[in-house]
Amino acid sequence: MIVTSVLAGYAFASMPFPGKRLIFALVLAIYMVPAEVTLVPNFIILADLHWIDSYQAQIAPFGASVFGIFLMRQFFLGLPNELWEAAQLDGTGHLRFLWSIAAPLARPPMVTIALFHFVASWNAFLWPLIVTNSDAYRPVQVGLEAFSYADATNPVLHAAGSLMVTLPILIMFLLAQRQIVGGIAASGIRG
Amino acid sequence: MRGMAISRRRPGRRQRELSGYLLISPALLFLIVFVLIPALWIFWLSFQRWDLISGASDYIGTANYERLLLRDDVFRKSVWQTVYFVVGTVPTSMALGLFLAVVLNRAMPLRDLLRTLIFTPYVMPIVSTALIFSFIYHPDVGVLNAVLNAFGLPKINWLNSPRAVMPAIIIYSVWQHTGYNTVIYLAGLANLGPELDEAARVDGARAWTRFWHITWPLLSPTTYFVLLVNMIASFKVVQPILIFAGGVSGAVSGGGGPDKAAETIGYYLYVQAFSFFHAGYAAAISVVLFLIILAITGLQVGVISRRVFYSRWELCSRCSSSLPSSIPSATSRTTCRRSASYPIPPPASSCRSRGRATSSTRSSSPPPPRRW
Repeated sequence: MIVTSVLAGYAFASMPFPGKRLIFALVLAIYMVPAEVTLVPNFIILADLHWIDSYQAQIAPFGASVFGIFLMRQFFLGLPNELWEAAQLDGTGHLRFLWSIAAPLARPPMVTIALFHFVASWNAFLWPLIVTNSDAYRPVQVGLEAFSYADATNPVLHAAGSLMVTLPILIMFLLAQRQIVGGIAASGIRG
Repeated sequence: MRGMAISRRRPGRRQRELSGYLLISPALLFLIVFVLIPALWIFWLSFQRWDLISGASDYIGTANYERLLLRDDVFRKSVWQTVYFVVGTVPTSMALGLFLAVVLNRAMPLRDLLRTLIFTPYVMPIVSTALIFSFIYHPDVGVLNAVLNAFGLPKINWLNSPRAVMPAIIIYSVWQHTGYNTVIYLAGLANLGPELDEAARVDGARAWTRFWHITWPLLSPTTYFVLLVNMIASFKVVQPILIFAGGVSGAVSGGGGPDKAAETIGYYLYVQAFSFFHAGYAAAISVVLFLIILAITGLQVGVISRRVFYSRWELCSRCSSSLPSSIPSATSRTTCRRSASYPIPPPASSCRSRGRATSSTRSSSPPPPRRW
């Protein structure tokens, strides 16, 4: 997802091609479609691919992120143009420039996207609940939910399970809260 | 050799265009397959009877919509309960978020720690926190009832009584969402800068006056954004309902809490699709939900955004008439001086047009450093 975001974000920011504005508007319009609305058709698509109850089913729908594309585009737009001109003098093409100069510079927004995605994946519940039905492919949140029903009488076990599931995200959040909170705040400022 | 270098440096126009498409294509592929096609497909799907298990389908015209909008009492109930949820959650968590942001915006001990603590619920997994809340709501050993008891109030069977289950879920959602709103408001406040507030303080304006006449109007773009995001998120609420009222095993009966008192549109959509496997009917619900969200967004963009101030200049041109005489002129002088320092001083007429032009001058200026 980071790769697709970086590539698309870079293209939208600094490469000219016909229909760019239109496609970007389309991407932003996609952002408006709530995930809940696409639940049913997505399920049918994955069922047709025979991907139900697999890792692919939980990964593929999140292969691209409009938020990620947007964040990367904003970052690349902010890069000084002189960098690109200097690279051009040295005979660099877009791909080479992106790989050796722009992408290394873009580490902060990439980290932000990665963190966001980590939190979202770890906490993912509704979609995995729908597309998995065996313990082998079930992520933690669905497992915890199933566990809480399987053993509804023991609140201490529940508390232990909740803590175990929450702890990793809590530790990661405490370590990386600057990036996460900053990213959230940045998403608000553009509104 | 030189010619080679030049041709590598400046590939043909076509080639450059092609590589642009190449770079966006992976992301676009995912978005088209998993968002755009499904989003268009639900319209077609909603005119079908489609069984999710057998995959059998046939075209039944508008029968899904007729049943949904005219005869389905559970759906009607779910619409009102969704409205109840939105009205209970959004204003509360926005007000709390704003209050916390204003409090945390001044220098105080442990400020960073408090910020982190307030935001933490938002990143915690819903399943775990909802489980923890279900202990808090427990009728006999729960903390909440113990507190009520201490004040001499009767016990409430939070999650099992039709009247209390929705308030319980609303309380949970407010708890979960306030941190997000606080962070957005803090970013908005950081954008304002302290000058105006200080000018008003020098003029002797009290805290509430300063907030109401300066901070609140200047924060209106932030409020607008927060309102929009919160409304959309609340209207499609599924997961807390799923965990508190219904869930995996409750799916047989359709869940939705005692007497279906926690049924919302999003949850009803989930149940129809994945407990009863009525994909076509669920698609019709999706379409209705989609239209509701579109309508809300349109309404907000059309109506409320007109009341948003995008620049200090606008406030300045308005405040001369709306500020009470208790705040004399130094405030508005400062306002005008600040706005005059914008790259392009907006003409007076753009104040009338509610500052589309002024907002663009603002966003083109570099964002202020954030202190996270």
